[in-house]
Amino acid sequence: MREQADFYVTIAAMVLIALWTTLTGIYGARTRSTSDFLVASRTVGPRWNAAAISGEYLSAASFLGVAGLVLKGGVDALWYPVGFTAGYLALLLFVAAPLRRSGAYSLPDFAELRLGSVRLRRICTLFVILIGWLYLVPQLQGAGLTVAAVTNHHYPMWIGAAVVMVIVTFNIYTGWIRSITIVQAFQYWIKLTALAIPVFVLLIHNAGDNQKFRNSLLSSAPLTFTQPADVVLPGDVTLAVSEPMPIQAAGTVDGQPVSGLVTWAPGEHHVAKGTTLHFEAGSRVPVIHGAALDNESWLRPMGSSPHALPATYSLLVALLLGTMGLPHVLGRYYTDPDGRAARRTTLLVLALLGVFYLFPMASGWLARLYLPQLLVSGNTDAALLLLPRAALGGWPALLLGGLIAAGAFAAFVSAATGLVISVAGVLSTDVLPGRLRGKFRAATVAAWSVPLAFMLAVSSLDLAQGVGLAFAVAASSFCPLLVLGIWWRGLTDTGAAAGMLVGGGLATAAVLPAAAGVLPPTWHAVLAQPAAFTVPLAFLTMIVVSRRTRDRIPSDVSRILLRLHAPDRLGLSERQDPSQFGARIGVVPTALPRSRGGRHRR
Amino acid sequence: MSLADHAPDPGEDPWAALEHAAEQAARAAATRPSPGYPLVGGAKPAKRERVVLAKRRSSRRVVRTLADLEDQTSVGEVLVRQLVRVQLVLSIRLMLLTAIVLVGIPLLFLLVPSLSTVTILNLRLPWLLLGLVIYPFFIAVAWSYNRSADRNEQDFAEMVEN
Repeated sequence: MREQADFYVTIAAMVLIALWTTLTGIYGARTRSTSDFLVASRTVGPRWNAAAISGEYLSAASFLGVAGLVLKGGVDALWYPVGFTAGYLALLLFVAAPLRRSGAYSLPDFAELRLGSVRLRRICTLFVILIGWLYLVPQLQGAGLTVAAVTNHHYPMWIGAAVVMVIVTFNIYTGWIRSITIVQAFQYWIKLTALAIPVFVLLIHNAGDNQKFRNSLLSSAPLTFTQPADVVLPGDVTLAVSEPMPIQAAGTVDGQPVSGLVTWAPGEHHVAKGTTLHFEAGSRVPVIHGAALDNESWLRPMGSSPHALPATYSLLVALLLGTMGLPHVLGRYYTDPDGRAARRTTLLVLALLGVFYLFPMASGWLARLYLPQLLVSGNTDAALLLLPRAALGGWPALLLGGLIAAGAFAAFVSAATGLVISVAGVLSTDVLPGRLRGKFRAATVAAWSVPLAFMLAVSSLDLAQGVGLAFAVAASSFCPLLVLGIWWRGLTDTGAAAGMLVGGGLATAAVLPAAAGVLPPTWHAVLAQPAAFTVPLAFLTMIVVSRRTRDRIPSDVSRILLRLHAPDRLGLSERQDPSQFGARIGVVPTALPRSRGGRHRR
Repeated sequence: MSLADHAPDPGEDPWAALEHAAEQAARAAATRPSPGYPLVGGAKPAKRERVVLAKRRSSRRVVRTLADLEDQTSVGEVLVRQLVRVQLVLSIRLMLLTAIVLVGIPLLFLLVPSLSTVTILNLRLPWLLLGLVIYPFFIAVAWSYNRSADRNEQDFAEMVEN
């Protein structure tokens, strides 16, 4: 049976990824003393670290989400990968080298070191948890979706999510996965391979198809089915048609039970869950709300929505400035030996991400050719997973499908591991009471159970959009703190706290209902992209309040700024003096060897 | 400019201004009763110890200038402010370039819709720009930033060491 085979291949892919992370983890733990030595002597150069950062960064949103968004939104969707990449440019220009020289491991560390306030540290902790949770939801959703999609929804969403969480928790509990640079670096290459090989094969296959079919996307003709298709709707959807069209439906349409041929008037139609729609070859494709109606609007910028320009800008602000506030990314810079290496690492990250994002774009194109039915069901995030089956068939499809599933699970596991460790780290050091080690394990469960519950309880967004919300909150809270903290000596703890609470608070208030999917579409368009308002507001609040509390400027501000900006060769940032900045607590007690002064994360 | 205020305007050549300012500050410091090196050392012994331990450049002169930098005498203060300012100007300049490109692309296609139907190599122009061309652009900006930032730091280090 087809679905059975797909299911087993997916399970095999999941097991392989689980084994792989565990084995490399054991290997890393075994060779710990050696690699300690290697890290200490700085042989983990920018190249390894850049791959590790990219490996941890490329999550469900990048692996599956971008292809789905391209299928749905066309060229406008490309702003997501562009923004995901440009974020590292902003990080490079304003944050990378000074942050590395500060010696701070996490954002709360940085806040306390720069402004010497425990209260501010707590606020930072709160936002690390919030951003981590928001970012984890799409990872779990992606995992659930993968299992559900390859089994044609015979298995529920929670299975895939649970599998990922079990792998992550198991590895953290045993201490085998320590976010070792080399493991995460390999994850990048696994993901790239698992995406590039299928896309190349499919492109070659596509080149062999007839030319009219290949070029059909370039014409302004409406999108049509090339083969007869039956679509069973996995949820309630709103479909849009631009011309009257006859349609075979069985189920509930616009609140009326229907069975047989009906004619849809132009406009939007609400179709209930479980309804079956039958399309003949050559019939037009009705599309879910928010997708581009025909190829012409799919091909041109801002074709899918009249509000696209402000939304595009707001999204760009969030992605451009949000990357620097992601807790699991910043910790990675700790592995770089100095500020210059942090800069070179970031340059390489830009190159690695640029190469990677070519493939989701290509698969979005292919999906529009081979999988138009996803535009009806709304399950566009599954595009990449279903693509081999739709285009090839037979064992090559199984093989490539398995490869893609493995890459997707690698994406969920690596991103989720980094996030769970970050969130559990701050939970256990700053939030939970009790003894340290027990706390970290309890914190691990707390770190993923909340997003898991959230994911299961509420209807959710597309993967990439869901991740975008975490970026919006990060851009409105941590970006101003970092940028002003690094470049402006006038910043005070009161100002920073006020700015973070106003900007981050408003962004959270806007984003949470959007993530829960309780908003009507018009409100959703505004509130899901709050960054264009909240980021300037956060900066403004920080500057104004800092000006009014000038007497609270830390007395050692000049020395800290010197330390952040002085060239590495002067050796000013080399020194670690924990006593001076209050006892800085390690964020990942089980994962960080602190004996050497804890300067290197492995 | 609200960031890095109080610093003198870098003008055409920031480094000339920097050197000038440093000279002035040094002169001002010389006319003042000097706090004296041992005195400072007595107040904060740990600080001097660490600087000496910074092993790479260990000429006495460097040590003294570093100590000046750390102790926030006016020379050191001016030097650091200037470095921060030069680096910030560089970052803002490149960020503006990036922002103009990112803001400009959608605006361009909105204002000149015919551009979005131009086809090059079987790809529409918007796809070509956002899917391919923009990534080498990011890398070029990052590369030029790394070069300039390294050079600024080198100049600063050389000045401190001379």
